[in-house]
Amino acid sequence: MKISKSITKDEKKLVNKMFWRSMTMYASVNPVTMGGGGFAYSMMPFINHFYKNEEDRKLALERHAQYFSTTIPCSSFIMGIAASMEKDNSQRSDFNVESINAIKTSLMGPLAGIGDSLFWGVWRVVAAGLAINLAYAGNILAPIIFLVVFNIPNYLCRYYGGLLGYSLGSKYIEQMYSNGLITILTKAASILGLIMVGAMTISMVKFNTVLTLSMKGKEIMNVQQVLDSIFKGIIPLLVTLVCFKLLDKKVGVIKIIFGIVVLGIILSLLGIA
Amino acid sequence: MYDAFVVALSVFIGVAGHELLGMSMLSRPIVVAPLVGALMGDLQLGLLVGASLEALFMGVVNVGISSTAEPALAAGLATAFSIKMGGNIEAIIPLVFPLAVLGLQLMNMIFSFVCGPMATKFFKLAREGNEGGMIRLHFIMWVIHYGIYALIPFFAVLFGADVVKAVLDSIPKVIMNGLTVAGNLLPAVGMAMLLRMLWSKDIAVWFFFGVIVMAYLEIPLIAIAAIGTIIAIVIAQRDMQIKKMQTVQLQNVTSPVSSSLDDEEEDFFR
Repeated sequence: MKISKSITKDEKKLVNKMFWRSMTMYASVNPVTMGGGGFAYSMMPFINHFYKNEEDRKLALERHAQYFSTTIPCSSFIMGIAASMEKDNSQRSDFNVESINAIKTSLMGPLAGIGDSLFWGVWRVVAAGLAINLAYAGNILAPIIFLVVFNIPNYLCRYYGGLLGYSLGSKYIEQMYSNGLITILTKAASILGLIMVGAMTISMVKFNTVLTLSMKGKEIMNVQQVLDSIFKGIIPLLVTLVCFKLLDKKVGVIKIIFGIVVLGIILSLLGIA
Repeated sequence: MYDAFVVALSVFIGVAGHELLGMSMLSRPIVVAPLVGALMGDLQLGLLVGASLEALFMGVVNVGISSTAEPALAAGLATAFSIKMGGNIEAIIPLVFPLAVLGLQLMNMIFSFVCGPMATKFFKLAREGNEGGMIRLHFIMWVIHYGIYALIPFFAVLFGADVVKAVLDSIPKVIMNGLTVAGNLLPAVGMAMLLRMLWSKDIAVWFFFGVIVMAYLEIPLIAIAAIGTIIAIVIAQRDMQIKKMQTVQLQNVTSPVSSSLDDEEEDFFR
């Protein structure tokens, strides 16, 4: 493959390790960081290879344990780019570490969109259609054929995606640093990231109140409609911003989670939601 | 007992293997049902149940908190009950479907309230540089998440679907509902953490752009991604132009020709 030419043998080994580890990205899936734990796990070979200093390793681990979510076949591409940026960071002192997570966040939305529709919307349906017919005919190979047909592109995309991401990153990120384009790229990536986070705030954080005000058995006010008429998605937006403020004030994540649980039960007890 | 165990095992292999092997679709009915069938001695029936449930669940992909019923559980139970009670798949599916709906709710509960709090330990371990701890946590969460879940098919086959449904139904509605409300709000924490990474005053307005577009236009995420990419490119181009102008100006200041030009301009404005 041409794309792997610019990578040394050692680096290729690291990319391979990352490929295997990236399989398990969603093993520790959770609503707070989604695949963050798996992302950090996948980045560990690089982190240990590039950083000799214990403090740098800790920072890198924390960086990659943050929220991350994308369609899994596309994840290794982003990991590859992130790995190449970690390499740059370990080599130069003027590296802006914030650009790493900015690029990660800006890529995960678009890649999830493409990957979801391609792998789950199209390819899974094709594979399943094939297997269903075989299974109806009593062919015991049906499940195996389903898995093989679905997973070959799945794994190929992940394997070559990782190599591609790493070699692209190695080639261009260094260049961009030299000519100062990286600040522009980081800003553009952050903007795209923010737009995606805004959109996900509405699509993933959900709240509907069932509260209605009625008079003599007639409904006079549907509170959700009133909320919607003020601003659609106002509650998810406010909850997200409050969480953001709390995190800023160094309130622990676990406290915020339990706060939300208590809030949910109180709202339910009061018949609001 | 054996039946209960193999069904639970098959469901575990399905949902847990799916996540461990890179979303390899092991959790689909077309895989889980034949597996249960093979282990319970009727592969052909397993294939049939798998095919009809796969067709039924064609449009269902579980992403985060969404969807109605969990396919692997539905497939495992449908196969087990079909084999035990004999044949009629059409009658079995309505029987297991409510349980699969409850199963998904329970899985979301584990996801939100077991895995959510556990995940915060990742940050602590990372700050300590404890890699081994992070790896252990990564896989312990995996075992717990799907291990607890596999108890549903285990007890459902052992005691019958009705008993399990009755037990799950006996959890007060108010609490269940409250947990669901909280579960729906929980992704806000993840979003807030992303915001902390990206937020800076001069570009924060774009967050609200994303909110408004999604709330009012209700277009798919991929469309917003495309719009966002175009905006990002336009802004990058503008920034590049500004950078170019700045370097040109810098050169102008240093070169004598331009300084005379500046003089002329100053004369003009005077």
